Amino acid sequence: MKPVVGLMGVVAVLGLAAQASGKEPPFGATDPKAVEAFAQVPMPPGFKVGESRLEGPVFADSHGKTIYKWPIAAMRQGYAGDPKDKSACEDKVTTKTGGYMSPYPEGLDLPELDKRKSCQALWSPVAADAKAKPVGDWTIITRGDGTKQWAYDHHALYTSYLDQRSGDVNGGTTVYRNGGDTPAERSPVGPPADVPPGFSVESTVRGRMLMTDKKMSVYVSDHDSAGKSNCDAACEKLWRPLVAPAGAQPHGDWSVINRSPSVRQWVFRKKPLYTYVRDQLDESLDGSEELGWHNVYTQLTPPPPKGFSVQETINGDVLADTNGKTIYFYTCGDDSADQLSCDTLDSPQEYRLAICGGGDVERCRRSWHYVPAATDAKSDNQLWSIVRVDPATGHEAKPHQAGALRVWAYRTRPVYTYEGDAQPGDFTGHARGEWQGRRNGFRAFWIRSELFTRT
Amino acid sequence: MKAYGATLGVLFAVGGAAAADELPISMREHKIGYVTTDLHWSVYQTSNVNTDCPQGLNGNGPRETFKALYPNGGTVEGTQLARESLKMFPEDKGPQFPYILAKGTTAIGLNLDGKQDTGFTSPSGEKGIDNNLFKVIGCNAQYRAPDGQLQLFANKLIHGFNFDRMMIELSNVDDLTNDDDVEVTIYRGHDPLLLDATGESVAPGGSQRVDMKYGRKLIQKMHGRIANGVLTTEPIDGQWPWAIYFDTPTVLHMRDMRLSLKLTAGGANGLIAGYMDVDSYYHWLTSWSTHHLSYGRLDPAEFYWALKNNADAYPDKDGKMTAISSAITINMAQVFIQHPEGGVDVQQRTADVTGARAR
Repeated sequence: MKPVVGLMGVVAVLGLAAQASGKEPPFGATDPKAVEAFAQVPMPPGFKVGESRLEGPVFADSHGKTIYKWPIAAMRQGYAGDPKDKSACEDKVTTKTGGYMSPYPEGLDLPELDKRKSCQALWSPVAADAKAKPVGDWTIITRGDGTKQWAYDHHALYTSYLDQRSGDVNGGTTVYRNGGDTPAERSPVGPPADVPPGFSVESTVRGRMLMTDKKMSVYVSDHDSAGKSNCDAACEKLWRPLVAPAGAQPHGDWSVINRSPSVRQWVFRKKPLYTYVRDQLDESLDGSEELGWHNVYTQLTPPPPKGFSVQETINGDVLADTNGKTIYFYTCGDDSADQLSCDTLDSPQEYRLAICGGGDVERCRRSWHYVPAATDAKSDNQLWSIVRVDPATGHEAKPHQAGALRVWAYRTRPVYTYEGDAQPGDFTGHARGEWQGRRNGFRAFWIRSELFTRT
Repeated sequence: MKAYGATLGVLFAVGGAAAADELPISMREHKIGYVTTDLHWSVYQTSNVNTDCPQGLNGNGPRETFKALYPNGGTVEGTQLARESLKMFPEDKGPQFPYILAKGTTAIGLNLDGKQDTGFTSPSGEKGIDNNLFKVIGCNAQYRAPDGQLQLFANKLIHGFNFDRMMIELSNVDDLTNDDDVEVTIYRGHDPLLLDATGESVAPGGSQRVDMKYGRKLIQKMHGRIANGVLTTEPIDGQWPWAIYFDTPTVLHMRDMRLSLKLTAGGANGLIAGYMDVDSYYHWLTSWSTHHLSYGRLDPAEFYWALKNNADAYPDKDGKMTAISSAITINMAQVFIQHPEGGVDVQQRTADVTGARAR
């Protein structure tokens, strides 16, 4: 099964264009090497700004480890996470569920208690020494045990045991923003994007997407030349120039052109910016269907490994394997007060096995297939990696373990295909699990899916 | 019949005052389109639930079964995950709790097989109505109007999600009252619904572009006839997208699917009926979380067995029925369907999506 090639915009953004059609990404698509600029904010000594391809600029500690927050979130029953200026992540092993997610009661015994770690053991508080002073939005809070911890914008700060290298965001991501049905999630903290008032940047699976502060997509055109708009009156019926105020000044990637006397237009990386009058939904990609027009990303996510494809479905575009079968990821957060992840190779596998096989390992293996990595395959980025899995346990295999599988993983979690999908474009495994798979289950790896934004 | 008459100007424009020898503007080129505004699983109910369900409504929802099975709690894997496993694999265990079926003899639906001995008569007196699904859902609070959670929200989301924007277009139409031969094409639209001044109800006269990007697989053709203002189509094995939760696209697969719709220039109201594939239906239902299912005391595994045990068509190789007769009540508003340039060649599109597209 060849990849779908009618979706050049999306395919190009994912860096799949070359393998799909032998062509370079179309003119106007974001440079794959581009890196998002960020606003300079005061930081305490010892901290820096790291670069995550998925999350953009992120704060990092002196070792380069990404810094996270855990904001309090409304669950179906009660709240979990850190209140303002406090940490709820303690050095105490939680043994019972909290009953946060209806309909199940609190007080159930959590799995593998003999191996379970405390929240603090997995999420190291970013310690502040006794002489530390608040700087800008960075403040210092006192933990329950009397030690000091850095906070940013009133959120206590942590690093994740899952992150090994600078730029890793294996502890959490803002890409899947699903509201109250997900666990109270940790997400990376970073400086604001360096964009003028009226603009914003959001992380997507495709890249860091530039949009207005109302979340409407912005576009650039191949018909424009560097620093010059060729969008005439007829063009303006569909494409609305993003007007810059009289006081707007060039800054970094940003500049301003005069469309006509007293009418100025924002320009990003030398390309005049527009919105699309037919866009009705937030974060739309519809304008990119028009020949020569493109959504704008401050930076792109790295492409998936060679051999993956993009498949068209009735719900949008989904990542697929080399045979066109939909790719899924497994996600899990437990129902303890700590809301710990249970989707990593070192997590208790009881959660995953319940959903993939009704507790039966063999049925799970028959139904959900790891995506094997070729012998000579290797990843050239931090989002995709190859992991060795013991299929009998679902845990990471020991070195030289017989029968271990060498499989593809996204943010260190293995990805899967589903036996129930008969043909390319099927996604029958999507949302299988608790809370449509958001708390314990499988989700299709959507590249583009805009049919659910409220109209 | 939902009232679409709030915007008099629009009604007039879409053909309310057309002369007999002149097609209304909504039927230009002998075509008329309609877009879905409401979907409900057809449940016949009186104002007295005790009459409809003398044994009461089903009371063994997820909370109740959990409490009965695990009065002293236990481990996550032995309790919560065991129930969630069973939701994924309901055949791992047989039914464990009593399930209350609707026992009434009046049901909304169509006579799907021409036989008279189904035990159901329609509210208007037609015998031989096939709707075994009604037995399963008729005494379940989720499905009962006006405030059953599934009844309410599954319909509400029809307005909100473009994924659910299903339309029909009648072509070769000469007369909305009687016409022996019309073509019906099912499309998905790509635009928000046109709401009336209340902001709640859908007004006729809107326009919808055909979703030719992701909706091609959903294009389906049917033959039909109009008699006394009612469109009746021949059956097809059909699919109808109906997502009932955010970011959770679900599609119903219905064997022998047919439409029976009362047509006007402003709307089409009636039924989608056929044999629901049981697995497809269960998958659709369980796209709701266990939490949401508990609103109506609907335990998914118990429901599965009720569904399976009342399936009445399409036996598998072992003779077990795989589909259940059913009906969906549908309301549609007239809409102007905008086709892409060059029109839509359904056969070509079908070829496209089955393989030739990957070029």
